[in-house]
Formats: sequence, structure tokens, C-alpha cells
Amino acid sequence: MKILCVLLPHFPWRCEARRNPEIKGRPAVVTYAAGSHRLVLDYSPELDGLQRDMPLQQALAHHGDAELLHADVPYYQSVFNGILAALEQRSPLVEGAELGCAYVGVDGLHLIYPDDDALLEAMREAVTETFASQIGIAGNKFLAYLAARRSPPGGHRVLTGDIAAFLRKLPCDVLPVSLKSKNKLRDFGIYTLGQAAALTPGPVQSQFGPEGRRIRDLARGCDDTPLYPRMMEESIEETTTLASVTVSLEALLVAVELMLTRVFGKIGPLEMGIRSLTLRTRTWNAETWERTIQFKEPSMDIKSALARVKRILEDYPQPGPVENLSMSINRLGYPRGRQKSLFSEIRAREHLMNDIRQLEFRLGNPQVFTVKEVEPWSRIPERRYALTPTGR
Amino acid sequence: MVENTGKTLRTDTYRPVNTPEPVSVEEDAAGLPVALKKKRQLKIAAIDDRWRIDDEWWRQEPVARLYYAVRLASGERLVLYRDLAGGGWYRQDY
Repeated sequence: MKILCVLLPHFPWRCEARRNPEIKGRPAVVTYAAGSHRLVLDYSPELDGLQRDMPLQQALAHHGDAELLHADVPYYQSVFNGILAALEQRSPLVEGAELGCAYVGVDGLHLIYPDDDALLEAMREAVTETFASQIGIAGNKFLAYLAARRSPPGGHRVLTGDIAAFLRKLPCDVLPVSLKSKNKLRDFGIYTLGQAAALTPGPVQSQFGPEGRRIRDLARGCDDTPLYPRMMEESIEETTTLASVTVSLEALLVAVELMLTRVFGKIGPLEMGIRSLTLRTRTWNAETWERTIQFKEPSMDIKSALARVKRILEDYPQPGPVENLSMSINRLGYPRGRQKSLFSEIRAREHLMNDIRQLEFRLGNPQVFTVKEVEPWSRIPERRYALTPTGR
Repeated sequence: MVENTGKTLRTDTYRPVNTPEPVSVEEDAAGLPVALKKKRQLKIAAIDDRWRIDDEWWRQEPVARLYYAVRLASGERLVLYRDLAGGGWYRQDY
């Protein structure tokens, strides 16, 4: 399978720069809160020595003059969804692996785009230049990702030829495995993919468990991870900013109701209900709260959806005063009551028969009759049809 | 021996539809219907059609009917027939 990987490096920072162009050229760190810790989500490309998820204190030790930006994940997600939707205009198989990394299945697209250049041009059109996309094309997801990583900003790389030679010198840090396994590899003195590929399967598995086999396969350029295309349902995003920060449940519910009204305004004509939604809030000190709510049966009206959301808001309190709420509708569904069952006719007849039997039990004698054809061709009118008691 | 199932035999389990309804009809000298006698006399304004049915002649009670599609003075349309075998007039939707 031919896979194309679109990497959007420093995606959160670029989203911020897109929203506020003034921060371009200034050192900035995008931070998020995890419990009482503040961590780094992203940073300006010119800042070196920083890593994602490192403590903010550590980052500030390197770049004390950096401007701090609070992460607005719903906004980043919304922008990323827009990019994925644009990519879906080019190929139906698009997977949003994580913020800023998408995989596209390009098998069969040669009928539309005769060569790789035309394909790359089409893909690049889907992503605005602001994001300086790096594109890689290869035979599986891991190789496509590596090819994208090794391509210049705004450029591309098509991985063909001697793949083993390409992988040999790459560091083990590129492997999509747990941090624990990466550290263990380092402890064993295995720093490159070439070294990892040379390992024998038995000892690797005994040391690393199930991940050991994956490490060896990936180091040899084998990745059987399938492409998980995102669902074709339209993703509906709604956001609202509160007039003033609040912890009041009633005020939050008013905002949720407002968003649900807008959502039902969009999905109403489809006669569909909400099956799953994600509610996100952002507090005044940039802490985020997120819950995904599943509906056992599609919620067809605001009232039922709101009741479910209310219970979640009551059970999982906000980390602080909320200033912004957003809602993503992940899945829609048709109401169960309107779905046609194979056995609906049989059931309906059963109910009817029960009612008729009940009526006869109370009133005696047959009460309901069915008209049946006896001799419909007969010249004598009373011989053509007869009434027979229903259900006998 | 067949055991008694306990099921009551019912005579009312089969009802013909559109059975003839006996009516009183005034005839003219030629035997054609001129009025229908119900609570009051309803004059027949016209005879639109006429046809005869002879059937089941092999039975003890053969069917021999002369049908008239008539229009009353009120504009109502009816189908009447004279029972040629047993005598008498009947009203029946055909």
C-alpha cells in the first residue's frame, strides 16, 4: 500500500501565529496544564533545546525570555479538522494520527494524478503555506512518516530504492514505541535503527516483550499498521466564550444549550441524532477539561442531550472558573425507533392479534373479520368475497 | 378414535359479503321496476342498464336473476334484481 504522510511541524505554534501574526519572530512557548504541572506543548521553531511535554520550568531555564501562550487545543483541533477535510477532497482515506500528522492512502490515485509531482501538488494545495508541511511517500505508515521527517520544510521526499540504507543511520528515537523501550535500547547501547534491525528476534522479545518484535520490524522498515481513515461523517464543532468566567453549573448549561441549539439546527434536516459528543472547557488559567459523552440511543432533541451533559458536568467538576466552552459532535445516528426491522411486520401482527383476542375475550364471538377472496371471478356477487374471523 | 378437542364448532366463522337485501319494488305492466318502496316510495327515474345471470342450473336451487341498474329521482344509483327462480326483488351492489 502506498501511504503519504503530511507532517505539520510546530502545529500548535503555527495555529497561534495564524491567529495572531504578531508573535512571529518572537520566542514563544505554548504551554498546557496537567494537574498542578505546567508542561510544554509546542514552541517557536527557532528555539532549540526544548521538547514537547517537558516541564515549563525546565524550558524557561533555557529560554527565560520566551513569551508564554496558553494552549487552545479545541482551536488547534478545529484547524486540523479543516486540513483533514481538505485532504479528503483529494483521497477518501485520510487518517488524522495526531495534531499535525496525517496519513493519506494514495493507492489508485494515479488515475487522477498521473505522477507523484501532480499528487504532491494537489496535497500541498490542501494545506496552507503557513504550516510549512513536510510530505513523505512510502510503502507503509512508518516509512512515510520518516520520509516526511527527513524532507525539507515545505518540501517532500519519496522513499524508494534501498530502504535499509536509509534506515541504517537513523536514531532509535524515531521509533513510535514507549519511552521506556527507547531508554532501554539506549541502555543496551543500541542507538541506531541499523543496530536494532541486526538484533535476533528471540532475545529482543525476551527483553522488550511484545514491543520487541515491533521494534525489530520497524527498524527493518516493516510496518503492518493499517490506515484508519477517519469517519466520513461531517465533524460539527461549536464554540462559545462566556461573558464572564464562571463556575456556575447553570451558566455552563446555558452555554451548552446554546451550542446544542446550533448543532440541532445543522443536523435537524438530516433527521439524525447525536450519538457521541466531546465537550471541552478552558479555564481562565488555561487548564482544560474534556469529556466524551456517548449516547446509548441517538439523542434527537436538545432536552435529552442537555440532561445527559448536565449529569456529566455535575459528576466531573471543572478545574476552575470557565471562560470558554467548545463542543465536537463525533458521531451521528438515526433514531432507533425509526429503523426498519426485518421482523417489524411480524411483531406488529402479533400485537394486533393480542388486541383482537382480548376484545373477543371481553365481548365474545368474533369481533374483527378479514375480507377474503373466495370466487372473485364469480358472476354471483355474494360468492366473490367472504368475511372470516381475523386470526383463526 | 379421534378424541374430542374441546373446540366448539361455530357457525358464524364464515360470512358472505354483499348478500342481497330483499326490497319491495313496484313494477309496471311490462314487469320493469318503476318505484322502490322503503319507508316512502322512491321513484325510479331511469333504467341505465339491464343484464341477466343464469348460473348453477345444475343445482336444486339454480340462480336466475335479472339485474337492473337504475337511477332514482334523487339521482342515487342502485342495482336491483328480480329473482326469476324464487321470485321477489332484491337490492345488491354488483
